[in-house]
Amino acid sequence: MIISPIKIWRRQKEIRTLLYKKGTIVSWTMIYTPPDGFAAYAPYPVVLVEFDRNQKAYGQLVDYDPRDMHIGKTVISVLRKVRCVSRDDVIAYGIKFKPI
Amino acid sequence: MTSIIGYYTTPFGELWNKSLFDLVEDVIFGVLKNAKLEQEKIDAVFFGNMMAGALENNLHSPSKIAEIMGSHIPVFRAEAACASGGAAFYLALKYLEAGAGKTVMVIGAEKMTDYSPEETVSALVSASSGEEQESGLTFPGLYALMAQIYLTKYNYSKKELAYVSYKNHFHGSLNENAHFRKKIRLEDILSSPFVAYPLGVLDCSPISDGASAIILTSDKKQRTKQKYVVQVLASSVATDTISLKKRKYLDGIEATKLAADRAFHISKIKREEISVAEVHDCFSIAELFAMEDLGFWKKGDAGKRIGSLETMLGSGAPLIVNTSGGLKAAGHPVGATGVKQIGEIYLQLTGQAAKRQVRKARKGLTHNIGGSGGTAIVSIFGV
Repeated sequence: MIISPIKIWRRQKEIRTLLYKKGTIVSWTMIYTPPDGFAAYAPYPVVLVEFDRNQKAYGQLVDYDPRDMHIGKTVISVLRKVRCVSRDDVIAYGIKFKPI
Repeated sequence: MTSIIGYYTTPFGELWNKSLFDLVEDVIFGVLKNAKLEQEKIDAVFFGNMMAGALENNLHSPSKIAEIMGSHIPVFRAEAACASGGAAFYLALKYLEAGAGKTVMVIGAEKMTDYSPEETVSALVSASSGEEQESGLTFPGLYALMAQIYLTKYNYSKKELAYVSYKNHFHGSLNENAHFRKKIRLEDILSSPFVAYPLGVLDCSPISDGASAIILTSDKKQRTKQKYVVQVLASSVATDTISLKKRKYLDGIEATKLAADRAFHISKIKREEISVAEVHDCFSIAELFAMEDLGFWKKGDAGKRIGSLETMLGSGAPLIVNTSGGLKAAGHPVGATGVKQIGEIYLQLTGQAAKRQVRKARKGLTHNIGGSGGTAIVSIFGV
Protein backbone atom coordinates (compact mmCIF):
# COMPACT_ATOMS: atom_id res chain seq x y z
CA MET A 1 0.00 0.00 0.00
CA ILE A 2 1.52 3.32 -1.07
CA ILE A 3 0.14 6.55 0.38
CA SER A 4 1.90 9.02 -1.89
CA PRO A 5 1.71 12.81 -1.39
CA ILE A 6 0.28 13.19 -4.88
CA LYS A 7 -2.59 10.81 -4.12
CA ILE A 8 -3.35 12.66 -0.91
CA TRP A 9 -3.25 16.01 -2.73
CA ARG A 10 -5.77 14.78 -5.34
CA ARG A 11 -8.07 13.40 -2.66
CA GLN A 12 -7.97 16.59 -0.53
CA LYS A 13 -9.79 18.51 -3.25
CA GLU A 14 -12.83 16.27 -2.75
CA ILE A 15 -12.60 15.97 1.00
CA ARG A 16 -12.87 19.78 1.28
CA THR A 17 -16.41 19.60 -0.14
CA LEU A 18 -17.51 17.01 2.42
CA LEU A 19 -16.40 18.78 5.59
CA TYR A 20 -18.67 19.91 8.44
CA LYS A 21 -21.82 18.58 6.85
CA LYS A 22 -24.68 17.20 8.90
CA GLY A 23 -26.30 13.94 7.95
CA THR A 24 -27.99 10.85 9.35
CA ILE A 25 -26.64 7.33 9.79
CA VAL A 26 -28.17 5.04 7.13
CA SER A 27 -26.21 1.98 8.26
CA TRP A 28 -23.29 1.11 10.53
CA THR A 29 -20.91 -1.70 11.33
CA MET A 30 -18.03 -2.39 13.70
CA ILE A 31 -14.85 -3.64 12.02
CA TYR A 32 -12.93 -6.24 14.02
CA THR A 33 -10.64 -7.57 11.23
CA PRO A 34 -9.08 -4.50 9.61
CA PRO A 35 -6.97 -4.07 6.48
CA ASP A 36 -3.31 -2.94 6.61
CA GLY A 37 -2.85 0.46 8.18
CA PHE A 38 -5.97 0.27 10.37
CA ALA A 39 -4.96 -2.30 12.98
CA ALA A 40 -4.17 0.39 15.56
CA TYR A 41 -7.80 1.55 15.54
CA ALA A 42 -9.58 -1.85 15.57
CA PRO A 43 -12.26 -2.53 16.52
CA TYR A 44 -13.73 0.66 15.05
CA PRO A 45 -17.23 1.63 13.89
CA VAL A 46 -17.83 2.70 10.28
CA VAL A 47 -21.02 4.53 9.35
CA LEU A 48 -22.75 5.16 6.05
CA VAL A 49 -24.21 8.65 6.23
CA GLU A 50 -26.77 10.39 4.05
CA PHE A 51 -26.53 14.18 3.60
CA ASP A 52 -29.21 16.10 1.70
CA ARG A 53 -30.29 15.20 -1.80
CA ASN A 54 -29.33 11.55 -1.53
CA GLN A 55 -25.58 12.28 -1.30
CA LYS A 56 -23.84 9.68 0.87
CA ALA A 57 -20.41 9.21 2.47
CA TYR A 58 -18.65 6.63 4.62
CA GLY A 59 -16.36 7.23 7.54
CA GLN A 60 -15.41 6.02 10.98
CA LEU A 61 -17.46 7.23 13.91
CA VAL A 62 -15.37 9.08 16.53
CA ASP A 63 -16.00 10.61 19.97
CA TYR A 64 -19.02 8.34 20.29
CA ASP A 65 -21.00 6.60 22.93
CA PRO A 66 -22.13 3.03 22.03
CA ARG A 67 -25.72 4.32 22.17
CA ASP A 68 -24.94 6.62 19.23
CA MET A 69 -24.53 3.67 16.87
CA HIS A 70 -27.98 3.37 15.40
CA ILE A 71 -29.72 4.06 12.13
CA GLY A 72 -31.20 7.57 12.12
CA LYS A 73 -28.62 9.19 14.44
CA THR A 74 -27.51 12.69 13.37
CA VAL A 75 -23.76 13.13 12.81
CA ILE A 76 -21.39 15.78 11.44
CA SER A 77 -18.34 15.19 9.22
CA VAL A 78 -14.96 16.21 10.63
CA LEU A 79 -11.37 16.09 9.36
CA ARG A 80 -9.26 13.39 11.02
CA LYS A 81 -6.18 11.30 10.42
CA VAL A 82 -7.46 8.21 8.60
CA ARG A 83 -4.55 5.82 8.46
CA CYS A 84 -0.88 5.44 9.06
CA VAL A 85 1.05 2.79 7.17
CA SER A 86 4.46 3.55 8.69
CA ARG A 87 6.04 6.28 10.78
CA ASP A 88 7.82 7.75 7.78
CA ASP A 89 4.73 8.00 5.60
CA VAL A 90 2.80 11.14 4.83
CA ILE A 91 -0.20 11.27 7.16
CA ALA A 92 -3.46 10.78 5.27
CA TYR A 93 -6.36 12.92 6.48
CA GLY A 94 -9.95 12.22 5.59
CA ILE A 95 -13.54 12.30 6.73
CA LYS A 96 -14.79 10.85 9.99
CA PHE A 97 -18.11 11.48 11.74
CA LYS A 98 -19.01 12.80 15.19
CA PRO A 99 -22.42 12.29 16.76
CA ILE A 100 -24.33 15.49 17.55
CA MET B 1 -25.04 -24.95 -28.73
CA THR B 2 -22.18 -24.93 -26.23
CA SER B 3 -21.67 -27.82 -23.82
CA ILE B 4 -19.57 -28.62 -20.78
CA ILE B 5 -17.81 -31.95 -21.26
CA GLY B 6 -15.48 -32.14 -18.28
CA TYR B 7 -14.74 -30.83 -14.80
CA TYR B 8 -11.94 -31.20 -12.30
CA THR B 9 -11.20 -29.42 -9.04
CA THR B 10 -8.49 -29.55 -6.41
CA PRO B 11 -9.65 -29.72 -2.83
CA PHE B 12 -10.19 -26.21 -1.41
CA GLY B 13 -8.40 -25.26 1.80
CA GLU B 14 -5.01 -24.38 3.21
CA LEU B 15 -2.85 -26.08 0.59
CA TRP B 16 0.58 -25.12 1.87
CA ASN B 17 2.48 -27.55 -0.33
CA LYS B 18 1.06 -26.09 -3.55
CA SER B 19 1.78 -22.77 -5.28
CA LEU B 20 -0.79 -20.98 -7.45
CA PHE B 21 0.61 -22.52 -10.62
CA ASP B 22 0.99 -25.99 -9.02
CA LEU B 23 -2.79 -25.81 -8.50
CA VAL B 24 -3.32 -24.58 -12.07
CA GLU B 25 -1.18 -27.45 -13.40
CA ASP B 26 -3.16 -29.99 -11.36
CA VAL B 27 -6.48 -28.86 -12.84
CA ILE B 28 -5.24 -28.57 -16.43
CA PHE B 29 -4.16 -32.21 -16.52
CA GLY B 30 -6.98 -33.32 -14.22
CA VAL B 31 -9.72 -31.95 -16.43
CA LEU B 32 -8.13 -33.29 -19.64
CA LYS B 33 -8.00 -36.73 -18.03
CA ASN B 34 -11.61 -36.55 -16.80
CA ALA B 35 -12.82 -35.55 -20.28
CA LYS B 36 -10.47 -38.11 -21.94
CA LEU B 37 -9.33 -35.33 -24.21
CA GLU B 38 -5.89 -34.83 -25.82
CA GLN B 39 -4.39 -31.45 -25.06
CA GLU B 40 -4.16 -30.68 -28.80
CA LYS B 41 -7.96 -30.40 -28.91
CA ILE B 42 -7.87 -27.28 -26.68
CA ASP B 43 -8.01 -24.13 -28.84
CA ALA B 44 -7.73 -21.53 -26.07
CA VAL B 45 -7.64 -21.13 -22.29
CA PHE B 46 -9.52 -18.58 -20.14
CA PHE B 47 -8.10 -18.05 -16.68
CA GLY B 48 -10.00 -16.45 -13.79
CA ASN B 49 -7.76 -15.04 -11.08
CA MET B 50 -7.99 -11.94 -8.94
CA MET B 51 -5.00 -11.45 -6.68
CA ALA B 52 -1.78 -12.94 -8.07
CA GLY B 53 -0.74 -9.44 -9.09
CA ALA B 54 -1.60 -7.77 -5.81
CA LEU B 55 -0.38 -10.51 -3.44
CA GLU B 56 2.60 -12.18 -5.06
CA ASN B 57 3.75 -9.82 -7.81
CA ASN B 58 2.76 -12.50 -10.28
CA LEU B 59 1.25 -11.29 -13.56
CA HIS B 60 1.28 -12.42 -17.21
CA SER B 61 -0.36 -15.66 -16.19
CA PRO B 62 -1.27 -16.52 -19.83
CA SER B 63 2.41 -17.09 -20.56
CA LYS B 64 2.86 -19.20 -17.40
CA ILE B 65 -0.06 -21.37 -18.46
CA ALA B 66 1.47 -21.73 -21.94
CA GLU B 67 4.67 -22.90 -20.26
CA ILE B 68 2.81 -25.50 -18.18
CA MET B 69 0.97 -26.78 -21.24
CA GLY B 70 3.98 -26.52 -23.55
CA SER B 71 1.79 -24.93 -26.20
CA HIS B 72 1.33 -21.68 -28.11
CA ILE B 73 -2.48 -21.38 -28.01
CA PRO B 74 -4.20 -18.11 -26.95
CA VAL B 75 -4.58 -17.78 -23.18
CA PHE B 76 -6.45 -14.91 -21.49
CA ARG B 77 -6.86 -13.86 -17.89
CA ALA B 78 -10.17 -12.44 -16.67
CA GLU B 79 -10.45 -10.35 -13.51
CA ALA B 80 -13.68 -9.23 -11.86
CA ALA B 81 -12.80 -9.66 -8.16
CA CYS B 82 -14.68 -12.69 -6.76
CA ALA B 83 -16.49 -13.05 -10.09
CA SER B 84 -13.22 -13.64 -11.99
CA GLY B 85 -14.07 -17.32 -12.53
CA GLY B 86 -17.54 -16.52 -13.83
CA ALA B 87 -16.09 -13.81 -16.07
CA ALA B 88 -13.55 -16.26 -17.55
CA PHE B 89 -16.42 -18.67 -18.27
CA TYR B 90 -18.56 -15.96 -19.89
CA LEU B 91 -15.69 -14.81 -22.15
CA ALA B 92 -14.91 -18.43 -23.13
CA LEU B 93 -18.55 -18.94 -24.07
CA LYS B 94 -18.58 -15.81 -26.24
CA TYR B 95 -15.26 -16.89 -27.84
CA LEU B 96 -16.89 -20.14 -28.93
CA GLU B 97 -20.06 -18.40 -30.08
CA ALA B 98 -17.93 -16.05 -32.18
CA GLY B 99 -16.38 -19.10 -33.83
CA ALA B 100 -12.80 -18.32 -32.74
CA GLY B 101 -12.36 -21.91 -31.58
CA LYS B 102 -14.29 -25.13 -30.96
CA THR B 103 -13.07 -26.40 -27.61
CA VAL B 104 -11.68 -24.29 -24.77
CA MET B 105 -10.63 -24.72 -21.17
CA VAL B 106 -11.80 -22.43 -18.36
CA ILE B 107 -9.61 -22.36 -15.25
CA GLY B 108 -10.18 -20.50 -12.01
CA ALA B 109 -7.53 -20.41 -9.29
CA GLU B 110 -6.43 -18.44 -6.26
CA LYS B 111 -3.65 -18.73 -3.69
CA MET B 112 -4.58 -16.82 -0.52
CA THR B 113 -3.23 -18.54 2.58
CA ASP B 114 0.47 -17.63 2.23
CA TYR B 115 -0.25 -14.20 3.73
CA SER B 116 -1.34 -12.62 7.00
CA PRO B 117 -5.06 -11.79 7.32
CA GLU B 118 -4.21 -8.05 7.02
CA GLU B 119 -2.31 -8.61 3.76
CA THR B 120 -5.06 -10.75 2.24
CA VAL B 121 -7.81 -8.41 3.46
CA SER B 122 -5.91 -5.45 1.94
CA ALA B 123 -5.57 -7.20 -1.41
CA LEU B 124 -9.28 -8.06 -1.35
CA VAL B 125 -10.33 -4.48 -0.56
CA SER B 126 -8.56 -3.36 -3.73
CA ALA B 127 -11.88 -4.45 -5.31
CA SER B 128 -13.76 -1.69 -3.42
CA SER B 129 -13.85 2.09 -4.00
CA GLY B 130 -11.07 4.42 -2.77
CA GLU B 131 -13.45 6.03 -0.31
CA GLU B 132 -14.46 2.66 1.12
CA GLN B 133 -10.80 1.79 1.58
CA GLU B 134 -10.09 5.14 3.21
CA SER B 135 -12.80 4.64 5.80
CA GLY B 136 -11.31 1.28 6.84
CA LEU B 137 -14.16 -0.76 5.36
CA THR B 138 -13.58 -4.38 4.37
CA PHE B 139 -15.78 -6.77 2.39
CA PRO B 140 -17.33 -8.20 5.56
CA GLY B 141 -17.84 -4.53 6.51
CA LEU B 142 -19.60 -3.64 3.24
CA TYR B 143 -21.91 -6.67 3.48
CA ALA B 144 -22.48 -5.84 7.16
CA LEU B 145 -23.72 -2.38 6.13
CA MET B 146 -26.16 -4.00 3.69
CA ALA B 147 -27.18 -6.63 6.28
CA GLN B 148 -28.04 -3.94 8.86
CA ILE B 149 -30.32 -2.22 6.35
CA TYR B 150 -32.02 -5.48 5.31
CA LEU B 151 -32.48 -6.83 8.84
CA THR B 152 -33.89 -3.50 10.07
CA LYS B 153 -36.19 -2.97 7.10
CA TYR B 154 -37.76 -6.45 7.25
CA ASN B 155 -37.55 -6.86 11.00
CA TYR B 156 -35.19 -9.84 11.12
CA SER B 157 -32.23 -10.63 13.37
CA LYS B 158 -28.85 -12.34 13.11
CA LYS B 159 -30.63 -15.64 13.73
CA GLU B 160 -32.13 -15.73 10.25
CA LEU B 161 -28.64 -15.30 8.78
CA ALA B 162 -27.30 -18.27 10.76
CA TYR B 163 -29.45 -20.77 8.84
CA VAL B 164 -27.41 -20.09 5.69
CA SER B 165 -24.15 -21.21 7.32
CA TYR B 166 -25.90 -24.12 9.08
CA LYS B 167 -27.26 -25.47 5.78
CA ASN B 168 -24.10 -24.87 3.76
CA HIS B 169 -21.89 -26.56 6.35
CA PHE B 170 -24.19 -29.58 6.25
CA HIS B 171 -23.71 -29.68 2.46
CA GLY B 172 -19.94 -29.16 2.89
CA SER B 173 -19.83 -32.22 5.14
CA LEU B 174 -20.88 -34.26 2.08
CA ASN B 175 -18.29 -32.77 -0.30
CA GLU B 176 -14.84 -34.38 -0.11
CA ASN B 177 -13.26 -31.30 -1.74
CA ALA B 178 -14.77 -28.75 0.66
CA HIS B 179 -12.56 -26.59 2.86
CA PHE B 180 -14.82 -27.35 5.86
CA ARG B 181 -16.36 -30.81 6.01
CA LYS B 182 -17.92 -30.30 9.39
CA LYS B 183 -21.49 -29.64 10.43
CA ILE B 184 -21.95 -26.69 12.78
CA ARG B 185 -24.67 -25.86 15.30
CA LEU B 186 -26.85 -22.77 15.13
CA GLU B 187 -25.70 -21.66 18.57
CA ASP B 188 -22.03 -21.83 17.48
CA ILE B 189 -22.80 -19.59 14.51
CA LEU B 190 -24.67 -17.08 16.67
CA SER B 191 -21.90 -16.91 19.26
CA SER B 192 -18.95 -16.80 16.83
CA PRO B 193 -16.67 -13.75 17.23
CA PHE B 194 -17.52 -10.73 15.09
CA VAL B 195 -15.58 -9.94 11.92
CA ALA B 196 -17.77 -6.93 11.09
CA TYR B 197 -20.90 -6.51 13.23
CA PRO B 198 -23.43 -8.13 12.80
CA LEU B 199 -21.43 -10.72 10.82
CA GLY B 200 -19.46 -13.25 12.84
CA VAL B 201 -16.67 -15.57 11.68
CA LEU B 202 -19.25 -18.28 10.94
CA ASP B 203 -21.24 -15.88 8.72
CA CYS B 204 -18.18 -15.43 6.49
CA SER B 205 -16.64 -17.56 3.76
CA PRO B 206 -13.02 -18.48 4.55
CA ILE B 207 -9.73 -17.53 2.93
CA SER B 208 -8.84 -20.57 0.81
CA ASP B 209 -6.48 -21.90 -1.82
CA GLY B 210 -7.82 -23.90 -4.73
CA ALA B 211 -8.30 -24.31 -8.46
CA SER B 212 -11.07 -25.67 -10.69
CA ALA B 213 -11.38 -26.21 -14.43
CA ILE B 214 -14.03 -27.10 -16.98
CA ILE B 215 -13.96 -27.85 -20.69
CA LEU B 216 -16.42 -26.15 -22.99
CA THR B 217 -17.08 -27.22 -26.56
CA SER B 218 -19.21 -26.20 -29.51
CA ASP B 219 -17.97 -29.23 -31.48
CA LYS B 220 -20.80 -31.69 -32.14
CA LYS B 221 -18.36 -34.58 -32.57
CA GLN B 222 -16.79 -33.97 -29.19
CA ARG B 223 -20.20 -33.70 -27.59
CA THR B 224 -21.50 -36.99 -28.93
CA LYS B 225 -18.30 -38.81 -27.89
CA GLN B 226 -18.71 -37.81 -24.25
CA LYS B 227 -20.65 -39.66 -21.56
CA TYR B 228 -21.33 -36.66 -19.32
CA VAL B 229 -22.56 -33.56 -21.16
CA VAL B 230 -24.35 -30.45 -19.90
CA GLN B 231 -25.70 -27.70 -22.17
CA VAL B 232 -25.14 -24.02 -21.45
CA LEU B 233 -28.60 -22.48 -21.89
CA ALA B 234 -27.70 -18.87 -21.04
CA SER B 235 -25.10 -16.72 -19.34
CA SER B 236 -25.51 -13.06 -18.54
CA VAL B 237 -23.34 -10.38 -16.94
CA ALA B 238 -24.48 -7.15 -15.29
CA THR B 239 -22.40 -4.48 -13.58
CA ASP B 240 -23.08 -1.67 -11.10
CA THR B 241 -21.18 1.11 -9.30
CA ILE B 242 -18.11 0.00 -7.38
CA SER B 243 -19.24 2.29 -4.53
CA LEU B 244 -21.96 0.74 -2.42
CA LYS B 245 -23.23 4.22 -1.49
CA LYS B 246 -24.06 5.08 -5.11
CA ARG B 247 -26.41 2.11 -5.65
CA LYS B 248 -30.13 2.55 -6.17
CA TYR B 249 -30.95 0.41 -3.12
CA LEU B 250 -28.91 -1.32 -0.43
CA ASP B 251 -31.20 -4.13 0.76
CA GLY B 252 -30.25 -6.31 -2.20
CA ILE B 253 -27.99 -6.47 -5.26
CA GLU B 254 -29.49 -4.97 -8.40
CA ALA B 255 -26.82 -6.41 -10.73
CA THR B 256 -27.99 -9.92 -9.76
CA LYS B 257 -31.56 -9.06 -10.67
CA LEU B 258 -30.54 -7.60 -14.05
CA ALA B 259 -28.29 -10.56 -14.94
CA ALA B 260 -30.88 -13.11 -13.77
CA ASP B 261 -33.83 -11.58 -15.62
CA ARG B 262 -31.77 -11.58 -18.80
CA ALA B 263 -30.46 -15.12 -18.35
CA PHE B 264 -33.99 -16.47 -17.74
CA HIS B 265 -35.24 -14.54 -20.78
CA ILE B 266 -32.51 -15.93 -23.07
CA SER B 267 -32.86 -19.51 -21.83
CA LYS B 268 -36.69 -19.46 -21.92
CA ILE B 269 -36.53 -21.36 -18.63
CA LYS B 270 -38.89 -20.61 -15.75
CA ARG B 271 -37.64 -20.15 -12.18
CA GLU B 272 -39.68 -23.20 -11.08
CA GLU B 273 -37.73 -25.44 -13.46
CA ILE B 274 -34.41 -24.89 -11.64
CA SER B 275 -33.83 -27.73 -9.21
CA VAL B 276 -30.27 -26.99 -8.13
CA ALA B 277 -28.41 -23.68 -7.79
CA GLU B 278 -24.99 -22.54 -6.64
CA VAL B 279 -25.32 -18.96 -5.36
CA HIS B 280 -22.67 -16.53 -4.13
CA ASP B 281 -22.85 -16.82 -0.31
CA CYS B 282 -19.60 -14.96 0.44
CA PHE B 283 -21.43 -13.87 3.62
CA SER B 284 -24.63 -15.32 5.06
CA ILE B 285 -26.63 -12.20 4.14
CA ALA B 286 -25.51 -12.62 0.49
CA GLU B 287 -27.45 -15.89 0.09
CA LEU B 288 -30.64 -14.18 1.28
CA PHE B 289 -30.06 -11.40 -1.26
CA ALA B 290 -29.32 -13.97 -3.99
CA MET B 291 -32.54 -15.92 -3.38
CA GLU B 292 -34.60 -12.72 -3.65
CA ASP B 293 -32.68 -11.00 -6.46
CA LEU B 294 -32.60 -14.16 -8.60
CA GLY B 295 -36.39 -14.17 -8.30
CA PHE B 296 -36.76 -17.45 -6.39
CA TRP B 297 -38.18 -15.74 -3.29
CA LYS B 298 -40.16 -12.52 -2.88
CA LYS B 299 -38.32 -9.40 -1.68
CA GLY B 300 -38.22 -9.40 2.11
CA ASP B 301 -39.23 -13.08 2.39
CA ALA B 302 -35.76 -14.68 2.47
CA GLY B 303 -35.35 -14.17 6.23
CA LYS B 304 -38.52 -16.18 6.78
CA ARG B 305 -37.97 -18.88 4.17
CA ILE B 306 -34.34 -19.68 4.98
CA GLY B 307 -35.47 -20.67 8.49
CA SER B 308 -37.56 -23.53 7.08
CA LEU B 309 -34.36 -24.98 5.52
CA GLU B 310 -36.34 -25.78 2.39
CA THR B 311 -33.22 -25.36 0.22
CA MET B 312 -31.26 -27.98 2.21
CA LEU B 313 -30.67 -31.49 0.84
CA GLY B 314 -33.33 -33.87 2.05
CA SER B 315 -36.01 -31.21 2.47
CA GLY B 316 -37.97 -32.61 -0.47
CA ALA B 317 -38.50 -29.08 -1.82
CA PRO B 318 -38.06 -28.48 -5.56
CA LEU B 319 -34.94 -26.24 -5.31
CA ILE B 320 -31.76 -27.14 -3.40
CA VAL B 321 -29.10 -24.42 -3.01
CA ASN B 322 -25.32 -24.64 -2.63
CA THR B 323 -24.88 -28.41 -2.53
CA SER B 324 -21.10 -27.91 -2.80
CA GLY B 325 -21.23 -26.23 0.61
CA GLY B 326 -21.28 -22.83 -1.07
CA LEU B 327 -18.48 -20.37 -0.54
CA LYS B 328 -19.08 -20.70 3.20
CA ALA B 329 -18.15 -24.36 3.60
CA ALA B 330 -16.60 -25.40 0.27
CA GLY B 331 -14.23 -22.44 0.62
CA HIS B 332 -13.68 -19.31 -1.42
CA PRO B 333 -10.44 -19.18 -3.43
CA VAL B 334 -11.87 -16.14 -5.19
CA GLY B 335 -10.81 -16.81 -8.81
CA ALA B 336 -11.78 -20.49 -8.56
CA THR B 337 -15.25 -20.01 -7.06
CA GLY B 338 -17.14 -19.12 -10.27
CA VAL B 339 -15.70 -22.18 -12.05
CA LYS B 340 -16.34 -24.51 -9.10
CA GLN B 341 -19.97 -23.38 -9.01
CA ILE B 342 -20.40 -24.38 -12.67
CA GLY B 343 -18.55 -27.64 -11.99
CA GLU B 344 -20.91 -28.47 -9.12
CA ILE B 345 -23.94 -27.94 -11.36
CA TYR B 346 -22.24 -30.12 -14.01
CA LEU B 347 -21.83 -32.92 -11.44
CA GLN B 348 -25.45 -32.53 -10.29
CA LEU B 349 -26.97 -32.55 -13.78
CA THR B 350 -24.89 -35.56 -14.87
CA GLY B 351 -25.70 -37.56 -11.72
CA GLN B 352 -22.11 -37.55 -10.44
CA ALA B 353 -22.66 -35.61 -7.21
CA ALA B 354 -22.51 -38.77 -5.03
CA LYS B 355 -23.73 -38.19 -1.46
CA ARG B 356 -25.03 -34.73 -2.23
CA GLN B 357 -26.88 -35.67 -5.42
CA VAL B 358 -30.20 -33.87 -5.95
CA ARG B 359 -32.57 -36.42 -7.48
CA LYS B 360 -33.82 -35.82 -11.02
CA ALA B 361 -31.95 -32.53 -11.39
CA ARG B 362 -32.43 -31.40 -15.00
CA LYS B 363 -31.86 -27.64 -14.84
CA GLY B 364 -29.33 -25.73 -12.76
CA LEU B 365 -28.18 -22.17 -12.16
CA THR B 366 -24.98 -20.46 -11.01
CA HIS B 367 -24.67 -16.97 -9.53
CA ASN B 368 -21.25 -15.38 -9.10
CA ILE B 369 -20.71 -11.90 -7.60
CA GLY B 370 -17.71 -9.59 -7.76
CA GLY B 371 -17.05 -7.19 -4.88
CA SER B 372 -20.07 -5.86 -3.02
CA GLY B 373 -22.22 -6.41 -6.12
CA GLY B 374 -20.38 -4.43 -8.80
CA THR B 375 -20.38 -7.49 -11.07
CA ALA B 376 -22.96 -10.28 -11.24
CA ILE B 377 -22.85 -13.29 -13.55
CA VAL B 378 -25.82 -15.63 -13.79
CA SER B 379 -25.72 -18.77 -15.93
CA ILE B 380 -28.32 -21.46 -16.61
CA PHE B 381 -27.58 -25.06 -17.56
CA GLY B 382 -29.62 -28.05 -18.62
CA VAL B 383 -29.56 -31.69 -19.71
